[in-house]
Amino acid sequence: MTQRHPDPPAVVLRGIVRRFPGVLANDEVDLTVAPGEIHALMGENGAGKSTLMSILYGLARPDAGTVELAGRPVAFGSAAAAIDAGIGMVQQGFALFDTLSVTDNVIFGAEPRRRGLLDRRAARTAVAELVERHGLRLRPTDRVGDLPVGLRQQVEILKLLYRQASVLILDEPTAVLTPAETDRLFDVLRGLAAEGRTILFVSHKLHEVLALSDNVTVLRDGRVTLSCATADTDRAALAAAMTGRDVELDKVYPVGSPGEVLLSAQGLTLRGHPALDDVSLELRAGEVVGIAGVAGNGQTELMAALAGHRRLDAGTVTLRGRDISRLPVRERRAAGLAHIPEDRAEAGSAPGATVAGNLAVGFQRRLARRGILSPRAIRAHARTIIERFGVRAASENVPMRTLSGGNQQKAILGRELTHDAPVLLVEQPTRGVDIGAIVQIHQRIVAYRDAGHAVLLVSAELSEIRALADRVLVMYEGRIVASFTKDEATNEALGLAMAGGTR
Amino acid sequence: MKTVLITLVGALVLGAVLLAATGANPLEAYRAIVTGAFGPDGIQDTLAYAVPVVGMATALAIPLRAGMVNLGGEGQLVLGAISAIVVGRHVPGVLGIVAALAAGALAGALYASVAAVCETRLGVPLLVSTLLLSYPAMSFAAYLVRFPMRDAGSSLPQSEQLPPDVRLPAVTDGVTVGLFLIVAAVAVFAVVDARTPAGFEARVTGWGPRFAAYAGIERPGLTVRLLACSGGLAGLVGAVVALGFPYRFIDGALITPQYTWIGLLAALLAAANPLGTLVAAVFFAALTSGGFAMERVTQVPRELTAVLQAVLIIFLAAATGLLRRRRSPA
Repeated sequence: MTQRHPDPPAVVLRGIVRRFPGVLANDEVDLTVAPGEIHALMGENGAGKSTLMSILYGLARPDAGTVELAGRPVAFGSAAAAIDAGIGMVQQGFALFDTLSVTDNVIFGAEPRRRGLLDRRAARTAVAELVERHGLRLRPTDRVGDLPVGLRQQVEILKLLYRQASVLILDEPTAVLTPAETDRLFDVLRGLAAEGRTILFVSHKLHEVLALSDNVTVLRDGRVTLSCATADTDRAALAAAMTGRDVELDKVYPVGSPGEVLLSAQGLTLRGHPALDDVSLELRAGEVVGIAGVAGNGQTELMAALAGHRRLDAGTVTLRGRDISRLPVRERRAAGLAHIPEDRAEAGSAPGATVAGNLAVGFQRRLARRGILSPRAIRAHARTIIERFGVRAASENVPMRTLSGGNQQKAILGRELTHDAPVLLVEQPTRGVDIGAIVQIHQRIVAYRDAGHAVLLVSAELSEIRALADRVLVMYEGRIVASFTKDEATNEALGLAMAGGTR
Repeated sequence: MKTVLITLVGALVLGAVLLAATGANPLEAYRAIVTGAFGPDGIQDTLAYAVPVVGMATALAIPLRAGMVNLGGEGQLVLGAISAIVVGRHVPGVLGIVAALAAGALAGALYASVAAVCETRLGVPLLVSTLLLSYPAMSFAAYLVRFPMRDAGSSLPQSEQLPPDVRLPAVTDGVTVGLFLIVAAVAVFAVVDARTPAGFEARVTGWGPRFAAYAGIERPGLTVRLLACSGGLAGLVGAVVALGFPYRFIDGALITPQYTWIGLLAALLAAANPLGTLVAAVFFAALTSGGFAMERVTQVPRELTAVLQAVLIIFLAAATGLLRRRRSPA
């Protein structure tokens, strides 16, 4: 798909070096992107993708190297300067006002004026025209807070288009999207590239990069390890360039041997939005049950209800024959429940506290001797988990946030598995996690199952569900609408059920 | 440490400029502060002021460790003092001392618990419930010493004196054995904070309320327990002050010196770390008594000592803020 353009390249980064204390985040990185090109930037967490993009976007200055836009050397002191030069970036967390309309969000900061006053009519026209021209499925008058995540992302893109960005940077844009929303995003991006805009697509998802991009650059440890036309490479080569070794992709683990029922939920109902509507399920020892579904169809609520964070409006939860529906979180955990939450940074850990402190949470009563919880016992406990689960940390005394996403998740996984609870609730165990760590996390979960524990897995990644789950339940609008065995759970069957179609 | 020293020097230089601008000799003024705070006469003033300030700082640091702010220290302090006076005037001897101190702590603990329950049961934010409940407590005490408990022989709004056998023995001028009670409270707080599961759970709650909830640490119960401890210590401080000279409750005597707010400042500056809170509270106490001394010795007006203190505190706060940011890069 590489095309010849007479124009100078849209973006040239040459010899970019950026040092952080103890780390070389970018080491002589070169990147050239032509106008109208979709260029994928790949790499594991900490490989230097974000640093490189923040240099291009004016959020950071390089220690060495040059940035050229359309043939002219530039040096941005701030993101505002980069925006003026036609660069736009959609960050991972959206920066939108939920209570305002699409139009208001788009024009914010660059409002059209007439005699010093806000020109609402001009704003409406401009936004409506952009929506029309790019085939977005947005209504300018809708309140942003009411929109699903996929459409909110389109609002972010619309903001860039309104500011006439010619170079669009998208940082992990599909992390929050459903497969259908991802397809729609790709259509929009292809359309933008076709009209000559340059797209920089930051991702670590192999199949998306292969499906969308014209060229790809892979970073590892701050250096470019691969840069070529996407057509000339494949999944294995990309994965090897990212990790530095051969990785077994898409391993599907064999089914386990289910035993007695450990967890049983009957008629779980939660009012609200999203709600739970009469959800029943059983979880047996030695099996992984996967919950598939488009985000926002009650999976989070189901896990919250099981773990004790939401009070049920109706229904019962039984753990090894004991009714735990009315018990608080602490007693449910004591009864045999461990939980790896979706929100790693807020719920699953305290990023500012030490690794040792994070790993001791939940063990504080057990680690105490005669009522005294010694710092030494806390550190020893942490070292055991760090060693057993291969967590890479400088020491147990560093803050949790200094660990990479994968290592944070391995630490949380290690802490929860160390409870040796009969039932493990897992949400999005590998979101934002490197390929290498994904394999390790999957192996741990399967080993935990094989040790006779029951695992309930919620994941937005169908490949993950299919790799791990012995049975798959599909949630749609707060109900379980389909159930598949491992063999039946094809992408097509799951996709259809997730969209609300019946089998 | 270097950052703290640099900012300290910066604050002193800025202070010196301010002093010089008003025609005072900065060196002389600074010498007056130091001798006023730590000189042979000053050290007693500092100590006398430090006891309630350290006590209140520690009291407020207890819930702050879990990210909860008790703004009702004044009410709890005053209720503790007035309760101690009531009990002390009716129970004689050593038993009276013990009972008065216990009554003070109990009154503070119960009153703070009410504020906690307002949050956990009724959904009133703790900031609001503690602060607003403080005013009726102060007014109630003010009413008591104006009418039912008023010292008939005086025109001031103050209670009668405690009998001589229900007074805390003095260590030096203005400092009673209450000093040891407060030191013991700080020690207990430090040990519980660093070395017990309960202290650990409070800290985890301070790290992140959602993390704590996920881990099964129950917030409502913790809120009530922490506020009871906080209010209990504040009440004890009130009782200790009431059982020292002049052995009576004088309306406003616990409010005017700003024990609560200086204590809260110290606790905030130290991020509620037990020993850090102690150090910050003693420092502020020294600064205050030194400031009074400077006012007496030099021609520097009262307002300027307040400005000088404010400059120092803001610089210190900036230094600790910078340190914390550096230690935890985003």
